[in-house]
Amino acid sequence: MSENYKFDTLSLHAGHIPDKETGSRAVPIYQTTSYVFNSTEEAASLYNMEVGGHLYTRISNPTVAALEQRLAALEGGASALACSSGMAAMHLVVSAICSSGDHIVASSKMYGANINLLQHTMPRFGVNTDFVNPNDPDAINRAIKPNTKLVFGEVIGNPGLDIMDVPVIAKICNSKNIPLVLDATFNTPYLMQPFKHGANIIVHSLTKWLGGHGIAIGGAIVNGGNFDWGDKDKFPTISGPHFALGGISFWEEFGPSALIAKIRAEGMYNFGPSLSPTNAFHLMQGIETLPLRMKKHIENTHSILNYLVNHEMVEWVKHPDLETHPDHEVAKRILPKGSGSIVAFGIKGGREAGKVFIESVQLASHLANVGDAKTLLIHPGSTTHSHLSSEAMKEGGLTDDMIRLSVGLEDINDITKDFERGFKAVKKLNK
Amino acid sequence: MIINFKGAKTYLGTGGKSLDINKRTLCFLHGSGQNHLSFIQQARFFAYKGYSVIVPDMPAHGFSDGNPCKSIKENAEWINDLLVKLNLKDMVVIGHSQGCLVALELNRILKNSLKALIFVAGSNEIPVNQFLLDLSKENPQKASQMMVTWGHGIDGDMSINKWPGHSHYGEGNNIMCMNKPTALKYDLHSCNDYSDGIDAAKNIKVPALAVLAKNDQMTPLKSGLKFVELIKNCETHILNCGHFLPSERPIELNSIINSFLSKLK
Repeated sequence: MSENYKFDTLSLHAGHIPDKETGSRAVPIYQTTSYVFNSTEEAASLYNMEVGGHLYTRISNPTVAALEQRLAALEGGASALACSSGMAAMHLVVSAICSSGDHIVASSKMYGANINLLQHTMPRFGVNTDFVNPNDPDAINRAIKPNTKLVFGEVIGNPGLDIMDVPVIAKICNSKNIPLVLDATFNTPYLMQPFKHGANIIVHSLTKWLGGHGIAIGGAIVNGGNFDWGDKDKFPTISGPHFALGGISFWEEFGPSALIAKIRAEGMYNFGPSLSPTNAFHLMQGIETLPLRMKKHIENTHSILNYLVNHEMVEWVKHPDLETHPDHEVAKRILPKGSGSIVAFGIKGGREAGKVFIESVQLASHLANVGDAKTLLIHPGSTTHSHLSSEAMKEGGLTDDMIRLSVGLEDINDITKDFERGFKAVKKLNK
Repeated sequence: MIINFKGAKTYLGTGGKSLDINKRTLCFLHGSGQNHLSFIQQARFFAYKGYSVIVPDMPAHGFSDGNPCKSIKENAEWINDLLVKLNLKDMVVIGHSQGCLVALELNRILKNSLKALIFVAGSNEIPVNQFLLDLSKENPQKASQMMVTWGHGIDGDMSINKWPGHSHYGEGNNIMCMNKPTALKYDLHSCNDYSDGIDAAKNIKVPALAVLAKNDQMTPLKSGLKFVELIKNCETHILNCGHFLPSERPIELNSIINSFLSKLK
């Protein structure tokens, strides 16, 4: 009987039904490298991609597959592939679609590692990228060339919190038959499902809110199945003959799941960025409570925004749910449940004040991750960007008084009490 | 492979191997609103087992252009003409759902070249409710989504898939979206209007195999069991899944078909 289960139910159940042999309610951790073949014929059929199944954990694994199928269900995608990190996911997508001589259009306001990959690494392999303002659809349209193979951006930019107007950009990409690839880490499928807005491919860092507990690094690609790869001249790696498997055309043989089939057959096979089954298990445990956690993340974020906006020691606060944010209207339209739980704010007193604040709080953790259940803070001016001048930081869209806050799930009164401790120390410094 | 047939681009899946007319050919016929991708896990499997395989995208389905056929008989005639054009002489026809009705009609047309018939989630009749018929005209995408949901068993609901990382619903919806918008309407009307199934089933002279699904909501098991009663000596199997049996239970289905094929002359 078909039920068409809802998001909260799928978060708990998708990808796994208890097996008859053991009845294990939890997804078992299949901590194995390989799988016994019942016959040479069975082995051959797996190698030839005649039927689905597992032959080696670098390519696929039952625990990892449960995670992949849960992600595909939550995003409404045709198929998904989990890998060792969000950056591995990003590289797998780019290397599956692009070859030397190809071109990418990407947002200029993205996570540093995403920019590094496209700006410095991929050009060494002949794939060049033009970076454009993600809030300027005309600029994106103008940047697309005949050899452009994908447009890439972040739904919620890291660290600037710019919101990409996904339906508008998707329409441009669709009209030019170019896939729109989005990093949807900061929104998660709970806040927004990009395929419903016309995106074609999603990459996630599962390490962040999806995993949610800061215990396992992982990444994923979810394929919308809504892109036509049939132009063999434009997308030869997906629709043209593959170098192995008898010259298989992934598009002809797998249709909506062609991209994932290609990545599994080539990217996982040749690069090997597999996710460990134990990490897949940990990440799935996180996903089970994703809806509950995201509700609380947003609730706490809105409380902390109210607290910071009204605080005498705070120079400025940036979050897309604030009316003062330049993308507030876009955020309201495409992220009606909330625009995530990252907040940027400036503290009166500049770089030194930021440093003192960070060193004075006790409950909030000073580290470089985001999306943990616990509240996290970092002051780029005294850590990741300490080598840069104030002017150089400004050029990168950062200020030396900026604190990046990842709002956790603690009691809000305990978070604000902790912040008061930090502000008190800054006050002393300013005197 | 792509051929020009009756003036339209026509796609034939061959399971990743070349079509060899000197070998026994397995001809897979897809169901309503589907295309060759219904048989992702059968086409390559049997092609690599040494059979010649063709999985045509019917007109206006999948990668094929042209106008959709408007009745089961028209579908059968189109397939017959295709098989004649390809000069195929030794065939086993495997239908899924609507493809079973087409196979029943094809049995009347094909003479010596047909060696066996295989019916997957099939019946001699597939009545379609008026709501779905209307929806397929007004909003084929919504109708497709409903069919994908109804058509799968619990594996669809729970995103359980033998193919790692694949989603029955996500994949199924997008497969149906590959077709021309009018294709589904004509498919469903063709099924609903077809009434010659009893005579056609009684007329089967070649060996027959039926693989039915216990939780089939599109062609219910009860209807399938009545159907196989009409066929003389029909080998019948029932699998625990929904209507989209080829993707829900590929290993079991392939095994049953393989065993059946090995017994044929």
